[in-house]
Amino acid sequence: MRVQRHCVIDADRDTVWKAVSDPDCYPEFMASLERWEHVTEGPADKGARYTVHWKIGSVPIGGVVEVSEFDPAHDLAWIGVSGVSLRGRFRIRDTGDGRTKVVFRLAYESAGNLLGIIADRVAARQVGRNMTQTLKNLKKLVEP
Amino acid sequence: MAGIADVLDWAKQQVASRVPKADLDQRDPDYIREQLPGLWLLASLYFRADVRGLDRIPREGPVLLVGNHSGGNLPPDTFVFTLAFCSYFGVERPFYQLAHNLVVSMPGLGSLRKFGTVAANHENAMLALQSGGALLVYPGGDYEVFRPSWERHEVDFGGRKGYVRLARDAGVPIVPIASVGGQEAALFLDRGQWLAKLLMVDKLARLKSVPILLAPPWGLVVSDMVPRLPLPTKIAIEVQEPIDVSVEAGDDDVVHKQVMESLQAGVDRLAAERRFPVIG
Repeated sequence: MRVQRHCVIDADRDTVWKAVSDPDCYPEFMASLERWEHVTEGPADKGARYTVHWKIGSVPIGGVVEVSEFDPAHDLAWIGVSGVSLRGRFRIRDTGDGRTKVVFRLAYESAGNLLGIIADRVAARQVGRNMTQTLKNLKKLVEP
Repeated sequence: MAGIADVLDWAKQQVASRVPKADLDQRDPDYIREQLPGLWLLASLYFRADVRGLDRIPREGPVLLVGNHSGGNLPPDTFVFTLAFCSYFGVERPFYQLAHNLVVSMPGLGSLRKFGTVAANHENAMLALQSGGALLVYPGGDYEVFRPSWERHEVDFGGRKGYVRLARDAGVPIVPIASVGGQEAALFLDRGQWLAKLLMVDKLARLKSVPILLAPPWGLVVSDMVPRLPLPTKIAIEVQEPIDVSVEAGDDDVVHKQVMESLQAGVDRLAAERRFPVIG
């Protein structure tokens, strides 16, 4: 299941990247975040790991994620290494008028064949709402 | 009378021989992972469950999770908590649950062993904790799950406090798990302890209750052994702060009292948030 949301933020790419690439900012702007912990030491970079859980439905869903792409002021992507199969990405692009377009993507797949497919579809609505709220929070965090 | 005693002994041995030996290796993380989406759908859509405070459970190592549970032979809070624990800590963390002999030996429920469910006794519990696993126990057992629905917000283990000795023997903390909602899955009228004695199942199968309840689709049900449809009651669960069981904490009665008070306070908090039965 792939869910995508985007927004335009009235700030330059570097300012947006500063928030998106700072693990300590995630509890501030990531909506429905139930658990956020560093697994590896050091600053965010490719290979850094975090435990992340979002409250989806009745229980926290997530697991350990690893940063798979760390391209400053451009792309930040991660993959799930435990829990639900998960891929996530923030794409950060100039709009040409001094503002920044942020695309937030999540692709996930539960185990369990048919029930897994149904659960993914049922969860998609709430996941989408959380992603919309996350971008709103990010906008509020970085806009002057 | 000797004849009746012999028959009782024989029947008791037959029941005991059907209780599978605890084999912790039967727990299968891949099987659990595949069941979680189905459980999540049931917990989220049907029981509209809400689980809080999972961060209070120690991140690693053995721990004794002591809860109150409700809902007769189909207690929704047990599977909701199992789902929550496995989602939060991952299916890789060893997690076992103690269940009544009849549950683990009942035909068709063999898959529970893949979830880490073992027969409730001190040896199995020690085995699970000494292996480094988290262990979920419901000391109230059948006495608790068959209490009348109007006592649904009362935590009563029927005087059972062996779990404190278990935690002390294993040297692990106790984490209380309070839950509400399960006793509204049917209308429980009576524990039927008198009926259990009359039918002698208290001696044959360690079954202290033969409950009487009103439940769809059957109406009046005796014994809760026939599958029924639980009402879609809202389940709320609160994980509480760990309780110290070291010698300094006091004797078993003191620790037991502390656990009961903590659970009752949690149940009272959760119950106060409920506006209507079943709906929540």
